[in-house]
Amino acid sequence: MRNVATIMRRELFAYFVSPMAYVVIIFFLGVMSLLFALYIGSGRAEAQMVDLFHTMVFLLLMVAPVITMGLIAQERNLGTIEILLSKPVRDAEVALGKYLAAVVLLLIILALSFIYPLIMEKYGSPDWGEILVGYLGVFLAGAAFIAVGLFASSLMSNQIAAAVLAILILLFFWLVGWISYSVSQQLGDIVRHLSVFENIQDLERGIFDTKPLIFFLSICYYFIFLTVRSLEQRRA
Amino acid sequence: MIEVKGLTKFYGPHPAVMDVTFQVSEGEVVAFLGPNGAGKSTTMRVLTCYLPPTYGEVKVRGYDVMEDSLEVRRNIGYLPERIALYPEMRVRQYLDYVGRLQGLAGQALRSGIDRVIEQCGLEERAQAIIGTLSLGYRQRVGLAQALIHNPPVLILDEPTIGLDPNQIREVRELIKSLAGQHTVLLSTHILPEAQMTCQRVIIINRGRIVAEDTPEALTAQLRRAQTTLVRVRGGDDALAKQILDLPQVNNVRPGDEPETWIVDSELGAECQADVARLVVEKGLDLLELRPVEMSLEEVFRELTMTENIENSE
Repeated sequence: MRNVATIMRRELFAYFVSPMAYVVIIFFLGVMSLLFALYIGSGRAEAQMVDLFHTMVFLLLMVAPVITMGLIAQERNLGTIEILLSKPVRDAEVALGKYLAAVVLLLIILALSFIYPLIMEKYGSPDWGEILVGYLGVFLAGAAFIAVGLFASSLMSNQIAAAVLAILILLFFWLVGWISYSVSQQLGDIVRHLSVFENIQDLERGIFDTKPLIFFLSICYYFIFLTVRSLEQRRA
Repeated sequence: MIEVKGLTKFYGPHPAVMDVTFQVSEGEVVAFLGPNGAGKSTTMRVLTCYLPPTYGEVKVRGYDVMEDSLEVRRNIGYLPERIALYPEMRVRQYLDYVGRLQGLAGQALRSGIDRVIEQCGLEERAQAIIGTLSLGYRQRVGLAQALIHNPPVLILDEPTIGLDPNQIREVRELIKSLAGQHTVLLSTHILPEAQMTCQRVIIINRGRIVAEDTPEALTAQLRRAQTTLVRVRGGDDALAKQILDLPQVNNVRPGDEPETWIVDSELGAECQADVARLVVEKGLDLLELRPVEMSLEEVFRELTMTENIENSE
């Protein structure tokens, strides 16, 4: 576990010493603030965040691949991976350390976005239970997207290629639900369970359920596992 | 300390290393000498657990690279051929990171960092951002990260490549000073470097070991042969054939320029005198007759040739 912390700390340092973290934070909060202002200004705003949560998840679909694109691809590109993997560190520790660094950055972004419900609290009376469940949903979706992005980064030595691959995989998980309308009933049911879109809806509305929880945690676990296998391959 | 038995490594269908076997005992400094692409780096990457072997048994201090990979990695310090460091980190911060990954903490970590900073002459640059360092300093940081946990075994892949002559001398001094306390396997494609720093040289070519001996013995072996360039106006293949028939001449081949031949022969001046006499007796003009320094390529060809002859006998 010490190695996980060491690797995570280095990745967080790399995020904040480069423009990366700031660009991502400014992009995310910039778009969200604009939408929040439009929502408040529309005159029919209620003190609830369903639409904002939905936008957040959609933004994370683009932000997560950018956060994760360099995690392993950059090490391959620079060649630093050779020193890293010849240290007494397990491949799983490398994958986890890097994964957690991106998750910490996600938490920082979500913490900053807490300004919106706080503004609502000042002018209305939002349901904090709903909001916390909604945030849990956004966090789980983001954590799953990061796992996908980490895996894509482990396959590539070019950061842009890694980001594009991650977005393609995520779009598949986002849109796969659409297939369900054009296939048989049984297959459609299976396919709908794989859809991020379908799984996130209840959480966004503030309805807690274990099914989406298990769905997102499974994606995290499965893609981190794939990342470890990809590191084990040791492609030079 | 290092035992390699029948190591073979394929990249796809291409063998990079074929059936390589050697040993390095405790405290020894051994050079891996070979041209680029000979399989030096591949062998070292297997030793450092970066690449798995296709076949063969590789052990460091009795630990197998496949079964006790983490234990092997605890016992070695590795300087890769391509020194890749995180450009955004500061030197001391980077050494702290590497030291932690090597399992150091607290006082041991701090004293380890201080020791390698002094050992590698990094005092003035300890707070510099790695991306701003010159190649020579990056090489020192690379060495420092390999030494941070005072490993019993050091694997150094081309430690002096890209350095200026002063830096090369410093690095060689440093390596010599490591002998005794560390077991060192270093690779190089510079013959004198191997002679200067090492007690034993393993020559590898096209993925196979072609010779293994002390630097003195290898040099003696190389001196069994010499190469002479001959330029004759109006010389032709018939002349080349007659030169080949001279005693002590092993081989004659055309040189890079027209009317020149490269003559491989036994050691000594006799052969050159014979060649000169032959050309003059045939009434041709001898324009040039001089010994050719053996380039590394030729050293290897020479060695592979003699090996083949010995094998066929």
